[in-house]
Amino acid sequence: MDDQGCPRCKTTKYRNPSLKLMVNVCGHTLCESCVEMLFIRGSGNCQECDTPLRKNNFRVQLFKDPTVDKEVEIRKKVLKIYKNDCNFPGLREYNDYLELIEEIVYNLTHNMDLENTKQMMEQYQRENKEIIQKNKIKLTREQEELEELLAMERQEIEQRRLLQIKEEKRQVLAKKKNKQALLDELESSQLPATLLLAQHKDRSAQLEAELEKQRQIVKPTTFSTGIMMSSGSNPSYAAPDRDQALTGRGRGLVGCGVLGSLHTRDPCSWPGACRLACTQFRTAWSSDAGQKISLQPVPKIEEVLYLYKPIHVETYGPPLPDLENLGRFGYLNHVRAASPQDLAGGYTSNLACHRALQDAFSGLFLQSV
Amino acid sequence: MYHNSSQKKFWTFPREDDLETLRFQANQKFRAKVLGSGKAAVNESLFLEPHEEKVIFKHYEKRLLDFCAIFKPVMPKSVVGTACMYFRRFYLNNSVMEYHPRTIMLTCTFLACKVDEFNVSSTQFVGNLGESPAGQDKALEQILEYELLLVQQLNFHLVIHNPYRPFEGFLIDLKTRYPALENPEVLRKAADEFLNRAAMTDAGLLFPPSQIALTAILNGASRAGLTMESYLTECMGLKDDRETLSKMIDSMRCKYSGVCFYLVCRVLCCGNSTRGL
Repeated sequence: MDDQGCPRCKTTKYRNPSLKLMVNVCGHTLCESCVEMLFIRGSGNCQECDTPLRKNNFRVQLFKDPTVDKEVEIRKKVLKIYKNDCNFPGLREYNDYLELIEEIVYNLTHNMDLENTKQMMEQYQRENKEIIQKNKIKLTREQEELEELLAMERQEIEQRRLLQIKEEKRQVLAKKKNKQALLDELESSQLPATLLLAQHKDRSAQLEAELEKQRQIVKPTTFSTGIMMSSGSNPSYAAPDRDQALTGRGRGLVGCGVLGSLHTRDPCSWPGACRLACTQFRTAWSSDAGQKISLQPVPKIEEVLYLYKPIHVETYGPPLPDLENLGRFGYLNHVRAASPQDLAGGYTSNLACHRALQDAFSGLFLQSV
Repeated sequence: MYHNSSQKKFWTFPREDDLETLRFQANQKFRAKVLGSGKAAVNESLFLEPHEEKVIFKHYEKRLLDFCAIFKPVMPKSVVGTACMYFRRFYLNNSVMEYHPRTIMLTCTFLACKVDEFNVSSTQFVGNLGESPAGQDKALEQILEYELLLVQQLNFHLVIHNPYRPFEGFLIDLKTRYPALENPEVLRKAADEFLNRAAMTDAGLLFPPSQIALTAILNGASRAGLTMESYLTECMGLKDDRETLSKMIDSMRCKYSGVCFYLVCRVLCCGNSTRGL
């Protein structure tokens, strides 16, 4: 997405990080500022294909390829009309229907056969007016339900946050009280000071332990992907029942997300659980009833300790001084010195010297039996 | 390095007889192949005997060395050594009758240039042949045809350890650790000659290159009348392995019939007796 630029002003995300590319019905992109400039009047012509466009038809680009965006728009419009998902006598007819929709979308996207397609669409619209009306109403109802769910989730999150804040306040208060109690006792009681201090330490240790335990019992929060957090000591999935129902039928479901429910064609052959799942706002995606993440430390594995033994290569010859010590023994006096160019390239004279000596000593003691 | 190279593992043979056996087997294999393929007009007498093959081999080896000598740009010695070794190894397992030595010789040189990173383009290479351009092209075609076969017959063992670098190493070591010898450079010429002659023998297939280089030096020293006893004993710690060296020098002597080697042998044998081996 980063390397794309506006075809008119050639600006990119690099130069203007808040750049937004907009796509119109003809499938060509323009950056926001260019749209502002060209369509000040409200309507104009696309600079690449010269089709008359309106400013409010521009949508922010979601996909890298603007033709994909164009197709998405067209698909949405087509599906609003062709929303007949329930009245099919068999699989063959349903598939034909789907293929018809695809053809229409393809034709409209690639500007092929536009009149015929449009005529077909209008005809279909006229024929199935009532069905389309009903679908429209259903659509709005679904949307409302979703809005409700979202609001509920938001409320839940708020509540949880408030609870947490309260907890923390309580803990701080408890600690303060403890300290205060110690001071009071030191003042008033007759017991020796050391005993009092020991008692105080005990009490604060107890408090700490309680706090730790509470933190460990992370409530089995159910995430919408079905993953469950547990402390490991609680192996059962103490999940609310609806998750159970969900995961039980989970295997058949394929990604009914929130958005998915809008576009889903659910023929009547699918179980009602699909609907149930959708309205419960879960991506019902489960392998074996969800994965579990444990919060306990990983168990230690005891193994034999590795002992390093340096590698020994048999050269069948006398021993050779190391590369670094060659200079010390005076070998380098008899080798051609490295010129500055050689040194710049990384060559030093002890490399050649060492190589020659290595070759001289290698295999010297070999005997052919 | 030589001690973990393919040359040590696969291409260093314990005895000369092994080499003779291999060559004989190659000869036999070719004969059987031709007779087995049943071509009518094949005369038994056309086949080469092993000793005849050897003569041809030596002849083409000489031509290889001459070709490398007149090569422009000047070919480094290691490339020549590598080419020679490839030639030798190839005809260890194949018969001269099967593949013409001239093409193989050129292919060996070509491959050696590539392996030793002596960069010569193919056109430049055949330009050194001294024929008409058409002849050069034909030669190039043949080279490229035989190249894969050559690599295959070498069993893809392309790294050759020549005695030239060990020789340099010994000179450096002599200069550093053996001040008794005033100017080791005097040895260079004689040793060079020795190594050139060693390349024309089977020495590369029988001994490690470091031993060949050491023998070259000892030979040079004995020719100049210098003794290097103490070098061998003190610096090399070669106490137990004189036997080997003497054996090696013996065998080299057989090939060259040089009197000098006798001297070297004697030197070492004296050394042996004085140390009570």
